[in-house]
Amino acid sequence: MKLNKLLLLALLMGLFFASCTTDDDDTPPEPRGDYENGLLISHEGSFTDGVGTVSFISDDFTTVEHNIFSNVNGRTLGTVVQSMAFNGDLAYIISNVSNRIDIVNRYTFESVATIDTGLNNPRYIAFANGKGYVTNWGDGSNAMDDYLAILDLDTNTISNTTIPVEEGPEEILAVSNFVYVAHQGGFSQNNKISVINASTDDITETITVGDVPNSLELDNSGNLWVLCGGKPSWTGSETGGKLFKVNTTDNSTTSIDFATTEHPNYLAFENGNLYYYLGGSVHKMSSSSNTLPSNAEITGLSFYNMTVKNDFLYGVDAKDFASNGELKVYDLSTNTEINTTTLRIIPGEVYFN
Amino acid sequence: MRHNIFTLLLFSTGFCNLAQAQLDAIQKLDEIVLSDAKLVQYTTGIKVEKLNDSIINKNSVSLTGLLGFNSNLYFKENGFGMVSSPSFRGTNASQTAVVWNGININSQLNGQTDFNTINATNFDAIDIRSGGGSVQYGSGAIGGSIHLNNNLEFKPHFDTQLRLAYGSFDTRMTDVSSSYGNSKFTVNAGFAYVDSDNDYKYLGADRVNENGAFNNVNFNLNLGYFISEKDVLKLYHQSYNGEREFSGTLVAPSNSKYVDENYRTMLEWTRISGAFSSKLKVVHLNERFKFFENKVNDFFSFGKVNTWLFNHNLNYRVSNTLQFRNILEFSHFDGGGSSFGNPKRNAFSATILMNHKPTDRFEYNLNLRKDVTSDFENPFLFSVDGAYQVSNTYAIQFNASKNFRIPTFNDLYWQPGGNLDLSPEQSYQLDLGHTLNLKAFNFKLNTYYISTEDLIQWRPDNSGDWTPINVAKSQSYGAEIEAFSKVKLKLNHLSFSGRYSYTVSENIETKKQLIYVPFHKGNVSVAYSHAVFSMFYQHQFNGEVLTIGDRLSGYNVGNIGFGCLINKNGKVHYDINLRVNNFRDREYQNVALRPMPNRNYQIITTIKF
Repeated sequence: MKLNKLLLLALLMGLFFASCTTDDDDTPPEPRGDYENGLLISHEGSFTDGVGTVSFISDDFTTVEHNIFSNVNGRTLGTVVQSMAFNGDLAYIISNVSNRIDIVNRYTFESVATIDTGLNNPRYIAFANGKGYVTNWGDGSNAMDDYLAILDLDTNTISNTTIPVEEGPEEILAVSNFVYVAHQGGFSQNNKISVINASTDDITETITVGDVPNSLELDNSGNLWVLCGGKPSWTGSETGGKLFKVNTTDNSTTSIDFATTEHPNYLAFENGNLYYYLGGSVHKMSSSSNTLPSNAEITGLSFYNMTVKNDFLYGVDAKDFASNGELKVYDLSTNTEINTTTLRIIPGEVYFN
Repeated sequence: MRHNIFTLLLFSTGFCNLAQAQLDAIQKLDEIVLSDAKLVQYTTGIKVEKLNDSIINKNSVSLTGLLGFNSNLYFKENGFGMVSSPSFRGTNASQTAVVWNGININSQLNGQTDFNTINATNFDAIDIRSGGGSVQYGSGAIGGSIHLNNNLEFKPHFDTQLRLAYGSFDTRMTDVSSSYGNSKFTVNAGFAYVDSDNDYKYLGADRVNENGAFNNVNFNLNLGYFISEKDVLKLYHQSYNGEREFSGTLVAPSNSKYVDENYRTMLEWTRISGAFSSKLKVVHLNERFKFFENKVNDFFSFGKVNTWLFNHNLNYRVSNTLQFRNILEFSHFDGGGSSFGNPKRNAFSATILMNHKPTDRFEYNLNLRKDVTSDFENPFLFSVDGAYQVSNTYAIQFNASKNFRIPTFNDLYWQPGGNLDLSPEQSYQLDLGHTLNLKAFNFKLNTYYISTEDLIQWRPDNSGDWTPINVAKSQSYGAEIEAFSKVKLKLNHLSFSGRYSYTVSENIETKKQLIYVPFHKGNVSVAYSHAVFSMFYQHQFNGEVLTIGDRLSGYNVGNIGFGCLINKNGKVHYDINLRVNNFRDREYQNVALRPMPNRNYQIITTIKF
């Protein structure tokens, strides 16, 4: 059964690839590097005495290589690799505790530049108008020093000018010339989305959403979906999750509420459907629906993060955070598991290369 | 009565018919001089190694430096002077008790003692008691316990000592202590200050240890007074104020700072009457810390706990070969902090110890304890230990015990995650020891097995929230060897000590060695003196350890020192010592990514009068 699914996957991709090349009818493209056509998985690594890593897994899951950054460059990434983002042929890898961004060729993983100034608790990066915008918490204990660092993509230097923002800027997403920042709240809880004009680097609007906006997804119609986890019960003022839809032409919003004790996370958008994780289960809803799905698609999971691509669900399990984690892949047409691959310490995010 | 004791001690040597009376007198003297007599009287089958003040003075001021080179303990130190956690027979910092003058002083917040926040100067003796000791010393005495003791000397004396040291990385140390006494009253006080920039070079990297400076002030005051022939009042006090920057790693900078204060005061009334000796203790402990994520800002998180403890010890000597001790203890803990409210806890414990010596060659102890705590159920604890003197030179020691470690304030109340449904960790162990005492050579071999269940570990739950649970089981077993030798030839004195331990400590499910527990650890010290000249070499080997997801190579580090006694005429003693730490300038890491100091120097002078 599993094998059939794999064959089907390979077949589908082969057909797709073949149809592309017949259209172009030219010489087949040169391979751009060892790490093309596969998944890249960032790992936080040990917080206390380790460094983050990146693993490569080929699309057919047969080739697995861990620690690809150090294998290629002979040195390590920083401590707690929080996220990675692609811009053209480059990948930007953010090491949170080390206050560092490593820029590499996304296919060869050869280092292009290292940025280790101007960052303080960096989290995520997005690109607009020739610039990279990096969310920074500043000191976690200080609610007033959070900012966006601006990276010049030509010179790979951080601008001396920063954009001060509300507490706890986390995920960030560019929509044409505007940058949307979710203020999850850092060590605290916040409920804002900042919108920055990439031409002027000014905050043009602050949108109030639900508590703890933890994920941003853009659909094909220009709607920004913001999943808010709500305040956890230990805060003493628990609030339920909310799913916000932001129309990016006028930044107007609509929302759907979760129950007070429900705290969803890890929103994904694929083929007109939204997917999220709630209490060990993955739920799916059509982006045109006005109500939350009543049943889960897959249950009994233990994901530290997840994403969806081409009807496949990729979830990472960080286990006890001190032993090797796992990637689990599910076929969403049948909701069955098709692959498990052992990863390294605290796998964080899955990227498609 | 006290005159009788001293008269006996003074004149009884060699008089066999006085032997029992002498024993009796010694034991009574223990009750008066020592702050924790049971450490001597009820430990027949336990390995206890005493480090006296000459070893304490010769070593680094922190417990980490002292014990790393002079015991079987392994330390995990987050860079020099930073947070230091011991591993005693493969256990962890929460399973090692630190006992100050008989009182367990592990933090109520995290259940541990950071061995770099204990200044070792101004203790008269530091005892290393290997193996379980929860019956006598409470929560956390699973792998073993470290005892910091101040003694009171009721004899006419007035001694003062001044030590000054200066060394690399602008490290300065001052220590002044003075002791006065007569047959009725005694007082000793000590003040120690340490300050270091600690900005050592990272060998093999183009960097220094940034943000690693530390300083601490330590004050001790101990008093004893005979209020009547039978009654002694004693007061013990220690305060510690430390300020440390927390250094970063090879790949991560840091600008954080940690400030902690500890105040410990104990008032004790000892009454000795016939076969009974009674001790009533009132103890106040105060621990508080502030953690600054960024040392230049005023934002900090904090925690504090006030402890009041009432303890009564009653010792009854039924005969010269049989004695009982009953201990009742009530404690009240009152905490507070940024990440939890204001939790309070009350605890009561009852302990019975029995010491019996049925024959000249055989002695054993039977000990029982039960705790009642306001937050959770406690197990019934026991221990049995004994020793058999096979020959004049060879003895066998054994002990078996059940020990525990209670959930800490952090485990129970931390927000988010604190779990009120936790139970104490429970541990069983067996230990067999051999001691060989020859004229110029002593040898100890111990083998042990420790099984611990309901280990409290913080794990993420289904929603990704971290919470502590009683989850894992571990077992440790291994062997420890210690050898000591002293040779004297005319003016030449040569002494040697060597220790080696083999430790397996594994998670029972995964069968994997626990992180930061080396299979192999050893140390060797050699000291030589000739007339006024002295020198020493000390060496430590720590084997490879597993880290989270990786492994860290083992290392060797050696220190060398030279001393010269400049004046010993009359009443004034003056000496000067030079010490070279890591004298081979080897690069090593004790915790991954945190390099330890390169070669560094210290000059120490001591004046005694």
